Amino acid sequence: MTYKVKIKLFLQGFIMINILWYILAILVNTRVLPTPIDVYLNLNSLYDNRLHIHILVSLYRVILGVGISLFLGVSIGLLMAYSKSWNKVLNPLVYFTYPIPKTALLPVAMLLFGLGDSSKVIIIVLILVFQVIIAVRDAVLNISQETYNPIRSLGASKIQIFRYITIPAILPAMLTNLRLSIGTALSILFFAEGYGTQLGIGYYILDAWTRIDYIGMYAGIVAISLFGFVLFVLIDILEEAVCKWKA
Amino acid sequence: MLDIENLSVSYKSNRNTVHAIGPITMAIESGDIIAMIGPSGCGKSTFLHVLSGIIKEYDGLVTLNGTGLNPKLHDIGFIPQNFGLLPWKNVEKNCLLSLKIKNKIIDSELIEKIDYIMNRLNIQDLKNRYPKELSGGQKQRASIARAFIMNPDLLLMDEPFSALDAITREEAQELFIDVWNQYKPTTIFVTHSIEEAIYMGKKIVIMSHCPGTIVKTIDNPLFNTENLRQNEEYLKLSSHIRTIIKKGWEV
Repeated sequence: MTYKVKIKLFLQGFIMINILWYILAILVNTRVLPTPIDVYLNLNSLYDNRLHIHILVSLYRVILGVGISLFLGVSIGLLMAYSKSWNKVLNPLVYFTYPIPKTALLPVAMLLFGLGDSSKVIIIVLILVFQVIIAVRDAVLNISQETYNPIRSLGASKIQIFRYITIPAILPAMLTNLRLSIGTALSILFFAEGYGTQLGIGYYILDAWTRIDYIGMYAGIVAISLFGFVLFVLIDILEEAVCKWKA
Repeated sequence: MLDIENLSVSYKSNRNTVHAIGPITMAIESGDIIAMIGPSGCGKSTFLHVLSGIIKEYDGLVTLNGTGLNPKLHDIGFIPQNFGLLPWKNVEKNCLLSLKIKNKIIDSELIEKIDYIMNRLNIQDLKNRYPKELSGGQKQRASIARAFIMNPDLLLMDEPFSALDAITREEAQELFIDVWNQYKPTTIFVTHSIEEAIYMGKKIVIMSHCPGTIVKTIDNPLFNTENLRQNEEYLKLSSHIRTIIKKGWEV
């Protein structure tokens, strides 16, 4: 997709959501659902509420959580794809723990790692790491043997095969995974920032909610949405740069 | 000089051991081009996989220029049926891949050669395209360019022209032989077309059913003949090969 098409798509979606929101607000006519105009007029007061700091703190947690998940997930995924014996050991573990709703472990994480950032990041990692492991392992195993043949006939070393075949072949799957991971991390954030912190966009929304500051609450929701959108656009740009051949 | 002595390959599938090919014994002079023709499933591809170092478990002895065949020591060009271009590299980078893997220094002389070969195969304008954006014929020319650029000790091709339509195929064969005559790398190619074997093979090796062994080797007097298809000898040789094939392929 060209940038023009993307910008058009974004604007279309933005306008449609706002029209629907506006109509709904007029119809429901309650303080709980203000019109988008009221919310946007209030956006300039967000700076006074230090919203940018809340966003930065949330960004820090997302990047740390997603970063650790990718690092661990990619390493373990590669290990499982390349070594049959490691796969034998780890596969039952991954298979068994994958369907466990990891959010249920939040109290455990809190008890073990305290109320600070570490338990928040750990819960993000716990939720993301398994899907990264599986995606990486399957992406490597899905590379057809034929793809390796020409480079094997050149006498390539294992490191060369990894660099010229494995990495570029799994990159698209990795980026898709990054996209999903960031989306998931943002929604976990909301939940994990509900305790033990006075910073973060999730805290901001929940705090406004308890203070019955509905306009502030919606401003927070708009902010977290834009925040997520910006991250998505960044991944788009990254994808275009490293997976040009797919376009 | 490529020496193959008592080569045979078996592999395990579902606990059964399948004897895929051999024993095969043959000697190929440097600068020869050999056409292998055989029924499907006779192990032609297996044979090429052994020579290209992809299959490492085999019985027998394969030596190239006096040393045991080893893709790390020898420069082996391999053109598989699907042309084997990496989808994430553009034409130019695909062509340079062999040099990179072999850690060769790309000096001005080599750059000149690369340019020359790319021009010769008419892919200069496609340099920046990815394989996805190429036609079958273009992919094949890129693949051939990659093989010639590395100046291979041994060039292997697995039905290199079968994925092309009839007219593109004839042009590609002509172009290939043209470039081949210039560099004359020792070449083995597998085909199921008698016509292709006669047109491009200095020697024609006819294989049997699985496990593939050599039924007969023919010195091809018509190699490098122009207007081959109008030649009377062509029809004779072609029907001669057909007779051998019919006998050899009987089960």
